[in-house]
Amino acid sequence: MAEKKELYLGYSTDKAITPFFQNWLEFLDQEKLMKSKCGKCGAEYLPPRQHCQKDMSECTLAEVSEREAKLYSYVIVDFAPESLSSKQPYVVAIGEFPSGLRLTAHITNLTSMPEVGMKLKLGFDKSPDGKMVTYRWLV
Amino acid sequence: MVRRVAVVAGGHSKFGKRYDATMRELCAEAYKPIYDEGITQDRIDASVLSYAASQFTGQGAGSALMADYIGLQEKPHLRVESACTTGTASLRAAWGMVAAGLYDVMLVMGVEQMNRVSSATATEYMSRAGDMRWEYPYGISFPAFYALMASRYMSEYNMPHDILAKIAVKSHFYGAQNPKAHLPKEIPFEEANNAIPICRPLNLYDCSLITDGAAAVVIAAEDRVKEFTDRPMWIKGIGAGASENMIQDRPSLTTIPGAKRAAKAAYKMAGIEPKDINMAQVHDCFTIAELIAYEDCGFAEPGKGPEIVENKENYIDGRIPVNCDGGLKSKGHPLGATGVSMTYEIMKQMRGEAEKSSRQIKDVKYGLAHNVGQSGQFVNVFIFERGW
Repeated sequence: MAEKKELYLGYSTDKAITPFFQNWLEFLDQEKLMKSKCGKCGAEYLPPRQHCQKDMSECTLAEVSEREAKLYSYVIVDFAPESLSSKQPYVVAIGEFPSGLRLTAHITNLTSMPEVGMKLKLGFDKSPDGKMVTYRWLV
Repeated sequence: MVRRVAVVAGGHSKFGKRYDATMRELCAEAYKPIYDEGITQDRIDASVLSYAASQFTGQGAGSALMADYIGLQEKPHLRVESACTTGTASLRAAWGMVAAGLYDVMLVMGVEQMNRVSSATATEYMSRAGDMRWEYPYGISFPAFYALMASRYMSEYNMPHDILAKIAVKSHFYGAQNPKAHLPKEIPFEEANNAIPICRPLNLYDCSLITDGAAAVVIAAEDRVKEFTDRPMWIKGIGAGASENMIQDRPSLTTIPGAKRAAKAAYKMAGIEPKDINMAQVHDCFTIAELIAYEDCGFAEPGKGPEIVENKENYIDGRIPVNCDGGLKSKGHPLGATGVSMTYEIMKQMRGEAEKSSRQIKDVKYGLAHNVGQSGQFVNVFIFERGW
């Protein structure tokens, strides 16, 4: 059996990797953003939850097909937590897809000040060693 | 049968960068004036320690240390934690025990020592109160959560940053008159509006302070109150609320839903309305938080909070004086002490005991404390009534 690839989300790591989260990270490594869906009531979650918030049923992963969103809100982090101080300043954005699902991620290619309501596109990124994978917003 | 409960005494340490003390000495400093009033250890049945974040000092099991240091080592004690609302969560826990008849007299001690680590490390620790899987990896610091609210509020209501700067100016105006404040200095509007950015659109003067300090209050059951004071401050209403853990999941970022729920519950229990409140201590961890609090507490309609600022209705002679002790902005924000400090300030204002007449609010019958944890995941609202 092939050894599982070591993957972490984002720019600083949370090393509490569960089988459900690992599976989700492997999709992300293939540039597929997955939401989760409750098998019982149909509720959808992004970011995904293993258990439905409403009835505690197991959720399954389903791909988010939307690629464009609008900027719901943003912050330019000039003074970062210690773990991300080497990256400051960076922009964290909440993007809202037409379906209403939201996603919090960095915007990585801004050349001017962000504005609430501006168009965003979903992108993906990984660290040079391939261990850190993430989604990101692009303008 | 629930018993009525009153705040009968309080004490407060100097807030600041207290390299001269550890949390135990800070607790003693807050308890000393209470002891000097004659509320000696033998008159206290039990205590609650409000201590939010042990990672700053590394001290675990803090209530044992605190109780022992101030001579309450033989009395039952416990620690409460719910982020920045730990102070009023502790008061709520103690109120429940006294109201239910478990104890008659309790000490609620709030303390935090945050300056034993660097600002970047403190920011790191506080960012871990966000979702460790989905928010923390993107470096969403505590100021960043509130900056997300500020960006949205400024866009929805077309509000300039000037309004936030005016809140900071007001906080520092009163903080400069409070000898217990961490940063007791006035700041001019231009400086407040153009300070270095921390998490844009929030700048340095939009942010509260990383502070060491302690505050304490004693509460007593109705039939014991007269043994302690003829000026009791009754706990008239208590409301607690909660909000979605991830900030992106909130239906709106221009309000804190848990705060609205907490305020509504507190008003209902107290049987009064927002217009009856004579002063408020609100959780201004950031200037945008104070602005949103005006609306969540019912002092302004949604989107109308800036009018309170523009009209200076939040000053001592205004319609609703807010944070006339400097607030978290200027007085400081030692996490576990903050909610207790709010309670102490309302008691002192009701008693007409502000250190300077220039920050003394006249004729306070009802005071409101609004204490928020994280970015609104926990909220407590207390309404206090003058009892004389």
